[in-house]
Amino acid sequence: MNTNHQGGLALIRATWLSWMQHRSFFFILAFGWMIQPLIFMFVWATAAGDSTIGGLTRGEIVAYYLTLILVNQITYSQTNWTVGDLIRGGDMNRLLLLPLSPLYNTLASELAGKVVYLTFVLPITVGLALLLKPEFHLTAVSLLAFLPALLFAWLLRFLWGYWLALLAFWAARADALLAVQDALVFLLAGQAAPTLLLPPALRLAAVILPFRYMVGFPAEVLTGQLNSAQLTVGFAAQLGWLAVTILLYQVMWRRGVRQYTAVGG
Amino acid sequence: MSDAHIDVQNLSKTYRVPQRQSGLGAALRSLVQREYLEVTAVTSLSFTIRPGEMVGFIGPNGAGKTTTLKMLAGLLHPTSGTAVVAGYTPWERRPEYLRRISMVLGNKSQMLWDIPPLDTFHVLGEIYSIDKRELQSTLDELTAILDMEELLTKPVRNLSLGERMKCELVAALLHRPSVLFLDEPTLGLDVSMQRRLREFIADTNRRTGATMILTSHYMADVAELCPRVILIHHGRLLYDGLLGQLSEQLAPFKLIRLALDRENSSSEWRDRLPEDTAVLNPDPANLTLRVPRRETSALTAHLLNTLPVVDLSVENPPLEAVIDQIYQEAAV
Repeated sequence: MNTNHQGGLALIRATWLSWMQHRSFFFILAFGWMIQPLIFMFVWATAAGDSTIGGLTRGEIVAYYLTLILVNQITYSQTNWTVGDLIRGGDMNRLLLLPLSPLYNTLASELAGKVVYLTFVLPITVGLALLLKPEFHLTAVSLLAFLPALLFAWLLRFLWGYWLALLAFWAARADALLAVQDALVFLLAGQAAPTLLLPPALRLAAVILPFRYMVGFPAEVLTGQLNSAQLTVGFAAQLGWLAVTILLYQVMWRRGVRQYTAVGG
Repeated sequence: MSDAHIDVQNLSKTYRVPQRQSGLGAALRSLVQREYLEVTAVTSLSFTIRPGEMVGFIGPNGAGKTTTLKMLAGLLHPTSGTAVVAGYTPWERRPEYLRRISMVLGNKSQMLWDIPPLDTFHVLGEIYSIDKRELQSTLDELTAILDMEELLTKPVRNLSLGERMKCELVAALLHRPSVLFLDEPTLGLDVSMQRRLREFIADTNRRTGATMILTSHYMADVAELCPRVILIHHGRLLYDGLLGQLSEQLAPFKLIRLALDRENSSSEWRDRLPEDTAVLNPDPANLTLRVPRRETSALTAHLLNTLPVVDLSVENPPLEAVIDQIYQEAAV
């Protein structure tokens, strides 16, 4: 990768400035992303009632889903949807001419977008927490482990989407695969149900495949659903998938650029 | 190797393009079995360009000009052949190479759309690691020459096409590239803006000594800026030489202009011409004929002997006409 952190940071700053012009767009996007986990939070919280479900009380389910809403917002990589357009429409030309990896451009939009929509999501989540009274059992371990789990989850989700988006070098509408990724994240990453509540076969798939480590895992870490063995295995799987994803990105990028047809002037 | 700044040898590029017939049936069939067509964009192109030279790249639409420029700028990998630009193989895309070149695409913007140009220029300054003081002095210099100080703080989306192109040129020159690829930089601009940018490009070439390749469909751009032109058609090199000699070498015809004595001439002059002579202007006072180059001298003698000629001159056709003829005939 053509590393140029100085240029990359400048690009992030400038992109942030330009995205601030479209704040309301991000607020609407962010609102849309909150709806699904909110619905499932109410479903499972109602199902738990005054007892527990899968060992989780109503308050613990609320805590889990409120964390999940935040993790989902922080890790969702909306920019990957635009990478295919850059390749298809020839706008990648502009980026390829710069002495800077085009990954920085996507990263810049990604980080700039997050700053903008978190200003919307954070107050809403805090408001919901005040209303719905979640039960958090925070410990030093869960707090300390949450931050790296969140960072790796974002990197994994972002780079996984990025290598899929790079398939646009070969197939014009490769971004359909991003919709598949979203569907699998919905099913296996703790959104439709916390991993603990999944049927055994699905739970096994969730533990093996990368999607849980993009969203559900950090939320499980913070809400203390995992014992230390599960935590260790979880981090190992998360880092393993991250390594595989970085490798896939590098291979796709190198081969894709050779394939690039640079259409459209 | 020679002292060439750009050395291209046997460069070829073939695209693999998916194709299908129109209609739903064909669309469904293509889902199962894709058919591809091999399209040759550039075939065995060779040329060299010296440091500081300014060369016009001309040819009809689809001739392979932009494909060649894109290969030289490192955007495309060739199918075969070699190119060395400023000591680098472009498609290896080394950062040191990308810092030495710039490309202006007339139909694609390099500017960030929602923020003022000044912000984009500062980002580019960081990306190219330009010293802040140096960046400011380059900016002052370029904006003064282009008379665009008042544009620097308006969002790019609010600029006119001409104003935006001024910004594109500044963005392309901030890091003082030694090789500049200009792909239709005056596309869609009005004549006075075209002239303004031509002067700026010529001046930049003189001041910085950058090697430049320019493609344009406006012959005025090429005629004013490029002493040397490379003409390609169907991806092949047709001509590489001085622009002034292009007509002489490539035009298969010449123009004979003659004025006939009004009193002694009648419509009979038409009968004295060989049958395949094209008459471009039938006014006897300013008769213009297009004749095959090899028949020019024989026909001139014939006209002088048979018609009441007052004045006669033999000329190469205008450049635009030659180019048009070449583009249409698809061969020379």
